[in-house]
Amino acid sequence: MSKTKFWSAEHPRIKELVFVLKKMKSSPLSIIGLTIVVLFTLLAILAPVLAPSETGRDPYMMPRTGYSPTPQPPSPENLFGTTEGQYDLYYGVIWGTRAAYRIGVLVVAVSALIGIVVGGLAGYYKGVVDEVLMRLTDIILAFPALILAMAFVVAFGRGLDSITLALILVWWPSYARLIRGEFLRVTSEDFVEAAKAVGCSDFRIMVRHVLPNTIFPLIIMASLDIGSVVLTAAALSFLGLGAPSGYSDWGQIISLSRNWITGAPGNPFAYWHTYIIPGIFLFLFIIGWNLLGDALRDILDPMIRRR
Amino acid sequence: MESVIVTDNLRKYFPIRGGLFSTKKGEVKAVDGVSLAIKKGETFGLVGESGCGKTTAGKTIIRLLKPDSGRIFFDPEGGLSDNPSDDFKQFDIARLKGRRLKSLRRHMQIVYQNPSTSLNPRMLVKDIVAEPLFVHKICRGKEAEKRVLDMLERVGLSEEHLRRYPHEFSGGQKQRIAIARALITHPKFVVLDEPTSSVDVSVRASLLQLFKELQQNMGLTYLFISHDLSMVEAICERVAVMYLGKVVEVTEAEELFEKPLHPYTQALFSAIPIPDPKTKRKRIILKGEPPSPANPPAGCRFHPRCPHVMDICRSEEPKLEEVKPKHLVACHLY
Amino acid sequence: MQAKALAENEQLKVEDLVVRFYTYEGIVKAVEKANLNLRKGETLGVVGETGSGKSVTALTIMALTPTPGKVEGGHIYFRRSTGEIVDVLTLKEEGLLKIRGKEISMIFQEPNAALDPLYTVGDQIAEAILTHRLPEMLEKVGRLEGEETNGLWAFLEKLPFFKGSIKKRLLNKVVRQEIVELLKLMEIPDPERVVDAYPHELSGGMQQRIVIAIALACSPTLLLADEPTTNLDVTVQAQILDLIMRLKRKFGTSVIYITHDMGVIAEISDRVAVMYAGRVVEVAPTMEIFKNPLHPYTKALLESIPRPGSAFKAIPGTVPNLVNPPSGCRFHPRCSYAMKRCSRETPELKEISKEHLVACFLHGGA
Repeated sequence: MSKTKFWSAEHPRIKELVFVLKKMKSSPLSIIGLTIVVLFTLLAILAPVLAPSETGRDPYMMPRTGYSPTPQPPSPENLFGTTEGQYDLYYGVIWGTRAAYRIGVLVVAVSALIGIVVGGLAGYYKGVVDEVLMRLTDIILAFPALILAMAFVVAFGRGLDSITLALILVWWPSYARLIRGEFLRVTSEDFVEAAKAVGCSDFRIMVRHVLPNTIFPLIIMASLDIGSVVLTAAALSFLGLGAPSGYSDWGQIISLSRNWITGAPGNPFAYWHTYIIPGIFLFLFIIGWNLLGDALRDILDPMIRRR
Repeated sequence: MESVIVTDNLRKYFPIRGGLFSTKKGEVKAVDGVSLAIKKGETFGLVGESGCGKTTAGKTIIRLLKPDSGRIFFDPEGGLSDNPSDDFKQFDIARLKGRRLKSLRRHMQIVYQNPSTSLNPRMLVKDIVAEPLFVHKICRGKEAEKRVLDMLERVGLSEEHLRRYPHEFSGGQKQRIAIARALITHPKFVVLDEPTSSVDVSVRASLLQLFKELQQNMGLTYLFISHDLSMVEAICERVAVMYLGKVVEVTEAEELFEKPLHPYTQALFSAIPIPDPKTKRKRIILKGEPPSPANPPAGCRFHPRCPHVMDICRSEEPKLEEVKPKHLVACHLY
Repeated sequence: MQAKALAENEQLKVEDLVVRFYTYEGIVKAVEKANLNLRKGETLGVVGETGSGKSVTALTIMALTPTPGKVEGGHIYFRRSTGEIVDVLTLKEEGLLKIRGKEISMIFQEPNAALDPLYTVGDQIAEAILTHRLPEMLEKVGRLEGEETNGLWAFLEKLPFFKGSIKKRLLNKVVRQEIVELLKLMEIPDPERVVDAYPHELSGGMQQRIVIAIALACSPTLLLADEPTTNLDVTVQAQILDLIMRLKRKFGTSVIYITHDMGVIAEISDRVAVMYAGRVVEVAPTMEIFKNPLHPYTKALLESIPRPGSAFKAIPGTVPNLVNPPSGCRFHPRCSYAMKRCSRETPELKEISKEHLVACFLHGGA
């Protein structure tokens, strides 16, 4: 009996992927979003090539070309200029892409995982389990996200790892809510009862039957969230709760420009490069992921409905 | 001594919850004292309208639902008598749990009404059909694939259908996939819950043919649940009619369609539109609507709508009794 | 030009209708040159299975083709109550609003999907009445207004804030009366209570009666019924069919009744149109179609119905994929009488004998 290879054009999942990509071509905003995301991904992967670090140093620490506090404008040595303390901006924003991805992907992935477990159990078993888990979720959702995150970071001590942990703790409830709703919907479908009739264990049903049918909304939420997570992390870093001074993190870099936003007397934009350049990177990153998320929602939604 | 399934006073109620703490406000008496005997190798029809409890009865018999009271005797070899004494206690599956309940699933299966919703839209056909083999640890890998292909061919599909999603098939084909899934473990007893209702008229005949073939080849016993009386007449040997949770008439199919005794059965048959413009049948149009199973009328449940209602019908529930050879009715008229 | 489109006794004519759906899987050629005509006061039964295009055709008659469908050809001539003959497909939204719900009404298969769960049943019927019969209702209000002598209301009426409240109150009363009358006509028990009920509080049969009430609230000339009793119990179906027939006689409405149940067709239709894969393949009076079916599909369909006492045969093959339909006659791959010609040319609907039209090369060529 012939086996269809996974990567061949005939495999049903590949056909789906091809369909999604083709659909994206039709909307200019989707193409823009996809392009931006792809570019940033390349940037992150190629960081060591585009901005080589010195051996022995933590590659995330920006190299300094001096110690003077006054930022220097772009020049042949420092393509994007320097920020306070003579940190090379070019290096900073490039490695900042990596840092952004690290935080974004980590927080979203772990939150989603926790959310799937909590929401899945609540939506599948309903009853008491549902009540208890949802109250737990409600407690966290009752606090404004940023404030709660700040409280966690202060408790854990500053640093990017603390921010990551704090954001995970603040973010998982929304995934739990989403997955719970989806599980409630899917478990009422016939094929779940049919799986029980076959004799499948609860675990098997949850993982093999219900979860794959909740994937689409999860993907959409995750892609929209990466932007939000990075923005929130940047905000926390800006407030000084994140990485140490000199770390390649966009929020941190913008924080270094705090004293220079007003510029020099007579020239309010004298130090524009210290905040505009990292700002643009942050902005484009978030817009790119948001556009991608929106595009995915538009494409995947009719697919869900069509099924 | 030829029955595969015998139920004794089976009851299944669903609580109606409401109020602040979801307290139980009442009960929907979906199945209220059903006693049936299904013989080995036969196709037993269960008919009635929506709300009569036939689907609940079917699902309770195969233990997809837990009965509230009553016994369900199951012997795949068909060695049960119509009135099992306590000697047959070990065949009672009404209270089974856990591993023993799971092992039951190999031998009793169900085919649902709507194949579009009873197949997981994100699973490939080969995985859907193979799953029971994995779950019951019958076989894996190449052996499983072989069996899946064999089963698909038996239901009229082929190798090219293995790696497709359900939505790529027509209604009739999807139902065949569902049948393949149900039969892959070679169960002895299969509940067919309105298997042709969601399928095109011209395709129904071929599905019925398939059921008959498979029954012959695999020695299956069917419980055929339907509200479509013409389907039931075409394929069933014996038929039971249910109304509001109770069985009101049981007999051989021919006998039932020719000489129905219970007034409800008579009204039911007269209501079916006949595809022949020349016949003007005498329609018994029933008064009112079927009452809610949460609040069944006292006495005979059919009495508010019965054209032959008598005083006794309002207070006393008629028992299901054999009034003619092999013909049981629950009605005070007899 | 338009005046000639309909014969004197014709109410509706669908001419060479083409509807295509632009979907993920390709272009679905759902309706391919369908032809139907309906006489005044008759019940036309339309039979067809999945993919026959019957529902799409019905919706298109009201210019409600579901997206992503597009009408790509043909005409739908309708004779309005004013006598004017219009092509529904050329009307703009304004013109359509005057027709939908008032002159052409539709009832669907799932009554609880047709009713809004958030509003009482009375509110939904009132909506139909107020949209199309407002002048008539206001006239009734006008007559009652003069009699309004209740002191408090008369006084309040003078105040700017309450101005018009008498009228509103009377309008509610008048409309409510009308609704109760309508419900009584639908043989709904206890109509006063039902007016304030929500759809989910009613059974399927009752819900369907409400849907029929909404459809008939404005005495339409044409009623489109798309499998309205398929989801109902047999005993309830019998009641509803009875009701529809009686109402039809009372209001003089022409009915297009879509179903796949030949038994229902035999009972209520005067003429029958059989559709297959987007085309009308046979049209004949009911007696004729059962006695003497000409098209192979019609024959096979009749043979596949299990009937008490007789064996039945399935039709081999499956309904064609409408993205890539078979060439020529769309039934030819499943037809036991197929000839070479059938795969090359498409037969047109031709009148073979009095009133009996078939689209098949076995009976008269193209």
